[in-house]
Amino acid sequence: MKITICIGSSCHIKGSRQVVGQLQELISERGLEDKIELSGAFCMNNCQKGVCVTVDGELYSVTPETVKDFFENTALKKLG
Amino acid sequence: MNNLCAEIGYKSINHAGEQLCGDHVDIVEHGENSTVIVLADGLGSGVKASILSTLTSKIISTMISEGLSIEECVSTIASALPICSVRGVAYSTFTIMHVINSDTLELIQYDNPFAVFIRDGEIYDYPQTEMRIGGKQIYKSVIKLQDGDIITAMSDGCPHAGIGIAYNFGWKREDIADFMKMLAPAGYNAKTLATMLVDECNKLYGYEPGDDATACVVRIRKRSPVNILFGPPSHRDDCDRMMSLFFGKEGKHIICGGTTASIAAKYLRKPLRPSLNFEKSDIPPTAELEGVDLVTEGVITVNRVVEYAKDALGENKEYENWSFKRDGASLICRILFEEATDINFFVGKAINPAHQNPDLPINFNIKMNLVEELSACLKKMGKKIKVSYF
Repeated sequence: MKITICIGSSCHIKGSRQVVGQLQELISERGLEDKIELSGAFCMNNCQKGVCVTVDGELYSVTPETVKDFFENTALKKLG
Repeated sequence: MNNLCAEIGYKSINHAGEQLCGDHVDIVEHGENSTVIVLADGLGSGVKASILSTLTSKIISTMISEGLSIEECVSTIASALPICSVRGVAYSTFTIMHVINSDTLELIQYDNPFAVFIRDGEIYDYPQTEMRIGGKQIYKSVIKLQDGDIITAMSDGCPHAGIGIAYNFGWKREDIADFMKMLAPAGYNAKTLATMLVDECNKLYGYEPGDDATACVVRIRKRSPVNILFGPPSHRDDCDRMMSLFFGKEGKHIICGGTTASIAAKYLRKPLRPSLNFEKSDIPPTAELEGVDLVTEGVITVNRVVEYAKDALGENKEYENWSFKRDGASLICRILFEEATDINFFVGKAINPAHQNPDLPINFNIKMNLVEELSACLKKMGKKIKVSYF
């Protein structure tokens, strides 16, 4: 599974750095490095919904506060 | 025009307890090819010294750049400077460095320590002619310049550093020359060289300078163009024109801005690979794009570059940050401040709708201001700047 986080200006201000950091931590806590690939992308043209995150191409809006919930209830469920 | 350019940088420290510096450096550019740099050291320290040195350097730099002779400058100064009520003299020493066409140096020295000249990594004992003007002994040299020459002018606060603390008789000029010779091969820029020399003096003074100390470095180097692309063009149809002009230029290529980088990637037909490595910095990560030397985020990164640029012109205390860090802003700083001599800005005036959100501290005006501020700073660093808008 591929999770892509927007690192453009707008999402950066909205906390993409913390989102990336927390996702990296959550993935390594669960030892899922082989199954989930994290990558960055520039502006996804949805700045209003920042921080923009896509999971296998599907767009989600995540904030540093909701990232844990997003990971457990959306990403992990998708992973099955 | 030849392919050389003269890079100028200076730094001063004040006599302990003084708010004003008694040394003054004035730089006047006259036309395309002539720059006059005057380092003046006023008698004493504090307000009086500051007035004397400011007047001296301003008068000389203006007169020389207008083509008047050194004799006229000296007599003007002698009659114009106010006389010190305590000492009964009007006195300010000076060093004039007149760089013509970046390949000829006219060096005129009066009572400052002789400028140190480093050529091919060795100390160069340049020829001097002694002149007497109005009872003053003035030394004049005309030197043909070549790539790699480093000329350091200084006030006597430099060789006086450490008197009675680190050394009995201060830091001798020969030892300062050795110090500059040691730094020469490292490729530091003029401002860094001046900063290192003055910092060393400050250290020898035990961080309580007993005199104002100033170093002014002129470094001759080959021209090195750098091109920066910042923002997408206001009309979509102009993308290809902007890209072909940008990529057609000689020298390094930097792209600032995610959307801009995507347009460039499409033009080059190469994949854009953003990194997730934050390099322990609050600056957004960089990206890789074949054919481009550096790809960074836009406004936040450039804003930091402007902050570093302003500092580099003044105290230069952020040097320790940008000189080795690997975040986007530091990488841009190293290319612009240290490598580049001619910088071409390609600025796109497109308004990013997402940035017009009032909650965000970025908007179109800020972006345009950043370009203006940055180009003003870079000009002060002695770089030739060209800005084109699309």
